[in-house]
Amino acid sequence: MRPVFQVATDRDSAPWWERTGRGEFAVQRCDACGRARFPARAFCPACRTERWHWEAAEPEGTVESWIVNHQAFGAGDGEPYVVVMVRPAAVPDCLLHGGWRAAREPVGGERVRGVFTPGASGLTLVDWEPAGE
Amino acid sequence: MAKRLLDFRDRTAVAGVGYTPFTKDSGVSTLTLACRAVLAALDDAGLGPGDVDGLATHRVGDSAAPTLVGPALGIRDLSWHLDQFGGGSVSHAVVGQAALAVAAGVAETVVCYRAINARSEFRMGGTGRGLPASPEVQYQAPYGLFAPPQQYAMYARAHMLKYGTTAEHFGRQAVTQRANAVKNPRALMRAPITLDDYLASRWIAEPFRLLDCCLETDGACALVVTTAERARDLRRPAVLVSAAAWGGGESHLSGGPADPTTTAAAALAPRLYGRAGLGPRDVDVAQLYDCFTYSVIVQLEDYGFCPKGEGGPYAASGATALDGELPVNTHGGFLSEGYVHGMNHVAEAVSQLRGDAGDRQVPGAEVALSTAQPGYVLPATSALILRKD
Ligand SMILES: [Zn+2]
Repeated sequence: MRPVFQVATDRDSAPWWERTGRGEFAVQRCDACGRARFPARAFCPACRTERWHWEAAEPEGTVESWIVNHQAFGAGDGEPYVVVMVRPAAVPDCLLHGGWRAAREPVGGERVRGVFTPGASGLTLVDWEPAGE
Repeated sequence: MAKRLLDFRDRTAVAGVGYTPFTKDSGVSTLTLACRAVLAALDDAGLGPGDVDGLATHRVGDSAAPTLVGPALGIRDLSWHLDQFGGGSVSHAVVGQAALAVAAGVAETVVCYRAINARSEFRMGGTGRGLPASPEVQYQAPYGLFAPPQQYAMYARAHMLKYGTTAEHFGRQAVTQRANAVKNPRALMRAPITLDDYLASRWIAEPFRLLDCCLETDGACALVVTTAERARDLRRPAVLVSAAAWGGGESHLSGGPADPTTTAAAALAPRLYGRAGLGPRDVDVAQLYDCFTYSVIVQLEDYGFCPKGEGGPYAASGATALDGELPVNTHGGFLSEGYVHGMNHVAEAVSQLRGDAGDRQVPGAEVALSTAQPGYVLPATSALILRKD
């Protein structure tokens, strides 16, 4: 099983985590140039504007990579678990990570869908499962 | 835009190197390790603590600062010091910044050191430390992703998927480096290995096996940086600092190009070669940051030794062996000599250019590339080109 870590959110990210708690996969969208970004932060890296709005997006993406962890790092128990790296459809120039929710291993490039999962520190995590299975 | 900072090329030199033994349990503090390595490097150069006016290191909250090491060695008046926060990505920045300080005249003799008890006290994989103090941790650690082998394994698989890189490619590089360590009395791991040994080693985080990973090591390494003129008057042959470069950019989480198969080194490399006035074909020996086998593969590409995507076949061809066209990690690297977080790569480059690398000497080596963690995890890297005087 994946180990349990307590992590701290910050003043930029807290609104994003509040939204996952409501079952919403949100992206920030720049009010000036319309570019979507993740993770949360105040300035648009494209046009440096400090105004944005939150936008609910479909929790969809494709598998960029994954690992099957075996080593018991930190609090781990050594039972293998899979972590995927996903390219979200809503922000394709970003990569994010999540747990893998299927009995089989992922396939490179396959379409996946987010699954909201209770996690440590009171956070609702976003794991991923094969889309359309 | 090519800026000229100051007359830097070949104006400074490494005049001495020093090591403590590499072990799994030093039994002493990082302050003690640092003092031993600094004194050893000064002795190698034919100098003493009274000649030192600068100290520089990098650390991640795991080691002794220059402001502790200086007084411990009776150095009362440091005219320049650097306590750089960061891991392997800034290892070569420390030496580059020391050379800049010497070139600028704010210090004459700087000792750069890295001292770690990375096995017995502060393991990068988690035990003995908290999670890294980065905002990005919150998007990874809750999913059980935080240890360097896990993060690098993720990038390695992306490279395998995109370019067809294989476990055998990784394994060949591990075998090559172990063969070098067999010839290195300092190395922690000196028993030869085969590709079958590599493939039979246990999983850490697929696609990485145990033999893809560097050695958690207790030890220290230090280098004396001074002016080229002064180095020529000292005990050992001067090794010139031809170029230093720093790199940054986007991480996979920051909304940049988000290509996990290319590192910040790809942007740094032209800057580095340009400052030295040479190119990858001029490099006789390369010490490429090998926290994991894959980091060598991706740097072979990003530093221009082979086309993008062909780092795996290039390494597996034997090109990176001692008798290959580009000997890489001639001391065995972090995989087999030991992991002093980057400084031991620079020290080995110096040995090769002085011609005192013993059984692992690359004949006629005149130009060496030595590199830092290439910019995964956090988007920063650094590198040096050193040259025989
Ligand atoms: Zn914008």
